[in-house]
Amino acid sequence: MERVFNLPDLGEGLTEGEVLRWLVAEGDEVALNQPLVEVETAKAAVEVPSPVAGTVVRLHAGEGQAVDVGAPLATFETAVPAGSALAPTQADSTPAAEATDGPGPHGTLVGPGPRSEGRRRRLAVASSQSGNGAAQAAEPVERPVERPRATPPVRKYARDHGVDLQLLTGTGKDGRITRSDVEAALADAEPVRVSAPAARAAGERAERRIPVRGIRKAIAAQMVASVAEIPHVTEFLTVDATALLALKDRLRALPEAAEVRVTPLAVMARALAVAARLHPLLNASWHEDAAGAEIVTRDWVHLGVATDTEHGLVVPVVRDADQLGILDLAREIGRLTGLARSRKASPADLTGSTITITNVGGFGVETGTPIINRPECAIVATGLIAQRPWVVDGELTVRSLMTLSVSFDHRIVDGAEAARFLTRLRDLLEDPALMGAF
Amino acid sequence: MDATDVQVSLLDADGNLLAHPIYKVDLDDDALRRLYEQLVVVRRIDIEATNLQRQGQLGIWAPCLGQEAAQIGSATALRPDDFIFPSYRELGVAWVRGVDPVDIMRLYRGQALSGWDMREHSFACYSIPIGTQPLHAVGWAIGAKWEGCDQIAATYFGDGATSEGDVSEALNFAAVQAAPVVFFCQNNQWAISVPISRQVAAPIWRRGAGFGMPGVQVDGNDILAVYAVMRDAVTRARDGGGPTLIEAVTYRLGAHTTSDDPTRYRTAEEMAAWQGPKDPITRYRTFLERAGLWSQGFADEVGATADRIAARVRESIENLPQPPLTDLMANVYADPPQTLVRQFERLAAFEAQFESEHG
Amino acid sequence: MAAVTMAKALNTALLDALEGDDKVVVLGEDVGRLGGVFRVTDGLQARFGEQRVVDTPLAESAIIGVSVGLAVRGWRPVPEMQFDGFSYPAFDQITSHLAKYRNRSAGTVPMPVVVRIPYGGGIGAVEHHSESPEAYYAHTAGLKVVSPSNPADAYSLLREAIESEDPVIFLEPKRRYWVKQDVELPVRTAPIGKAEVVRPGADLTVVAYGPMVKVALDAAEAARQEGMGDLEVIDLRSLVPLDVDTLVDSATRTGHMVVVHEAAQFCGFGAEVAARVTEEAFLSLEAPVLRCTGLDIPYPPARLEEAHLPGVDRLLDTVRRSLDY
Repeated sequence: MERVFNLPDLGEGLTEGEVLRWLVAEGDEVALNQPLVEVETAKAAVEVPSPVAGTVVRLHAGEGQAVDVGAPLATFETAVPAGSALAPTQADSTPAAEATDGPGPHGTLVGPGPRSEGRRRRLAVASSQSGNGAAQAAEPVERPVERPRATPPVRKYARDHGVDLQLLTGTGKDGRITRSDVEAALADAEPVRVSAPAARAAGERAERRIPVRGIRKAIAAQMVASVAEIPHVTEFLTVDATALLALKDRLRALPEAAEVRVTPLAVMARALAVAARLHPLLNASWHEDAAGAEIVTRDWVHLGVATDTEHGLVVPVVRDADQLGILDLAREIGRLTGLARSRKASPADLTGSTITITNVGGFGVETGTPIINRPECAIVATGLIAQRPWVVDGELTVRSLMTLSVSFDHRIVDGAEAARFLTRLRDLLEDPALMGAF
Repeated sequence: MDATDVQVSLLDADGNLLAHPIYKVDLDDDALRRLYEQLVVVRRIDIEATNLQRQGQLGIWAPCLGQEAAQIGSATALRPDDFIFPSYRELGVAWVRGVDPVDIMRLYRGQALSGWDMREHSFACYSIPIGTQPLHAVGWAIGAKWEGCDQIAATYFGDGATSEGDVSEALNFAAVQAAPVVFFCQNNQWAISVPISRQVAAPIWRRGAGFGMPGVQVDGNDILAVYAVMRDAVTRARDGGGPTLIEAVTYRLGAHTTSDDPTRYRTAEEMAAWQGPKDPITRYRTFLERAGLWSQGFADEVGATADRIAARVRESIENLPQPPLTDLMANVYADPPQTLVRQFERLAAFEAQFESEHG
Repeated sequence: MAAVTMAKALNTALLDALEGDDKVVVLGEDVGRLGGVFRVTDGLQARFGEQRVVDTPLAESAIIGVSVGLAVRGWRPVPEMQFDGFSYPAFDQITSHLAKYRNRSAGTVPMPVVVRIPYGGGIGAVEHHSESPEAYYAHTAGLKVVSPSNPADAYSLLREAIESEDPVIFLEPKRRYWVKQDVELPVRTAPIGKAEVVRPGADLTVVAYGPMVKVALDAAEAARQEGMGDLEVIDLRSLVPLDVDTLVDSATRTGHMVVVHEAAQFCGFGAEVAARVTEEAFLSLEAPVLRCTGLDIPYPPARLEEAHLPGVDRLLDTVRRSLDY
């Protein structure tokens, strides 16, 4: 039978050898251990004895040629029957017969030297047997740039309850997501609604207890804190909204407004941003610590837009609202309120406002005494725009009217300045062209 | 018995057995012939092992070529229940002890860290860290002495090993405790590429006196001299006379291991000086011829025996199975830590994913 | 019940072991006539003779190598390294032979040897007498590494180590040799491989062994008094085998863990505990496992050793870092 003899690693971590001199020829009869060939290894010639008795069928390299360790050196025809000790498979299973790649000899004196660097990867035969998570096809998941930060127990809690940390805003240290944040998310899945109980016997009346958690709890805390700290005063002013509505209609007709929903709110946001820049104290914050108190004014106007969502009140922020035209404002307000409603607003979207607008008119009411979005100075409520009786030039007529109210921090501004702000706002809304002046 | 200044030799250049005032040869004709057979067989196996390495069947082999007389002669002088602590070249000693050469080669094939049952042959596992095993021999010997048992220990090490601190510690400890141990140093002239002239500044056998024990130098290629000197040391130890240091002067005709290339540091002329009529097997054959114990039939028979044994060794080696994965962990501890147990369970589960390469 | 020092407990354990098994033999420098530099082998040679309690030449490698040979013969040697820093000459015999003989001989030749080593600092000594080499030995497969913190454990663990078929590096905290405990000897406490919760707590787990167990307990008491927290203290007792289950259970309950040891931090034993507990209790941890250790320096001169060694203050500082994380 045929037996292929591969060049073994001759003990120096060889990767290849050069055939110096064949001591037999093809067709020769050779005895076991008869010197076969001289191979050059690291500048010394090593004599390799024949591993079998038989006939040389083929010599696989010429003199002066290099042979890789593990590659065929010579093929013999032996008289030994198949399945014996000298069957071809044996030589290949020795460590020395492993194919190596890479540069020359490493010269170790104590063994065959390092094996091939690129050891072949084995293919798993049994699919996903081990618990090591071997080779599972990962579904591509869109990941944000920054991973949500949460300690391991919070992560586990979230994972156990199917809450995706990506969607949460952290209220803990350094914006970390806390356990309460996760609980809030869970509570939002079941909003605080008092619905009629399904099956109830006629005449049966009961008291129900709704645990306050999550966003309800957060809102409650913020409201209490604001009212507790800030001396609130609210001033009211009724405004003729005719020009405002006309402007809205004209803007809607513009080709640039094709994909934007221009609302009266967008126009009011523009006017408010201008007014806030003109009356910086209404755009300020009260800051107090052990060293004393400061009023902090800014050159920018980041407008908070109070948004009612099914999860509760959320206030996304239009940054640099004073730099945006009405169409851009409409776009931004639409985008942000959309994010807020779908709970996809990021922490950056929800922080940093310097003044807030709340459109209570959207709920169908005339006006309100809004609570300041602490630590701002002022919050403006815009009411329902409706046809009402009005006096123009001494004559009774019907006009579209809207009531504005501003609640302000009486530590920062007095009533007079707040009134100036409010009247300014009215002026801008009743004569929108004035907005272009500032 | 006093240390002599003369290297002990019993066979002269013509193969005559000389008389010696101290060292006697008490072997009968059969025993003398058996020594020859052992010499030839050991050399044959040793050469076969080198061939097997060159053919990729062994990862490495440390040949004892040229040192057969030193090993067989000394091992013959020991009782089978005397415990031997070898280094890693003692094929001749192992053969006398009945250790299967295939079991020795399992080590060099990477099959196991030691291939034979130490207790079965009173032959310790090979010690790769140079010069560390003489201390083990001393400990064993002291234990025997405490038990009032007349077994002794023998330890084999090379000239290079004598530079290691552990060997000095062993000599000192043995002398202080009068341990029944024989220190057998095979000075084969080379420690890989470092010649004896760079290894020691004074003859090795003289250290015996320095530590407080007899030291003797023997012609390591004179198998009968080796036998006689060893027998004397063995008797001393067994009779409670304490340890002896024997330096057997021989020559490493082969390379340090099959990975070594001696042509880089020694000459063919030097080697030739230790071959031909100086070769230990040739010298002993000359003696047998002289003594009338030789015949062609005897030589043929010995040759055939050697061939047969070599063929069996070859076939066994080529058929050795891959060791099972469990060998990784089974004997690390008598009572393994849970961390190891769990680690191995994980490995076994991992390996189960693939087609098995292991038994 | 009498007050027994650790040295006395060890002495009694050796005495009982020598008494109970003829194959047990004690060997080392000055162990016989002097009774050991710490008197741990006091009186043993007088009682059992020079053959059972051997004064060896000054040769650490030989002490262990000879022990290996004795073990091959079937003896149960208990060699002593006089000081931690002087165990290094025997490192080759310990790691190349003591640890490997059983494995090399396919289980046929065990090494029932106990290497006793006084270790650790805090005794105002000169160089090389205050080392903490436990990591080298813990990292050597085939060895077990044990360190008692109190007299009762010292007795029990040493008896068990001598009876074990595995080689044990037995590290005795020399600064605790003279600490007394009310204990009736002989005593068997928990087995090798079992860590003890020596002080249960709810807020944070301190993991210690050997000389640092006392420091940990003192720190826990101070933490309680100062209202810093309720600390749980675990005495590992054996480093190999390591009682991972007790550590994980504790970390799961408290969510905070600090490992304390005298040895240097870099690649110290604390790293193994930290990695393992983090891997197995990750989702219960409120903070990473912290380590309070000696500095990554050679052991300093005595007048600086207090700054180098972890004490109550530095340990509590680490505890605070963990709790405040």
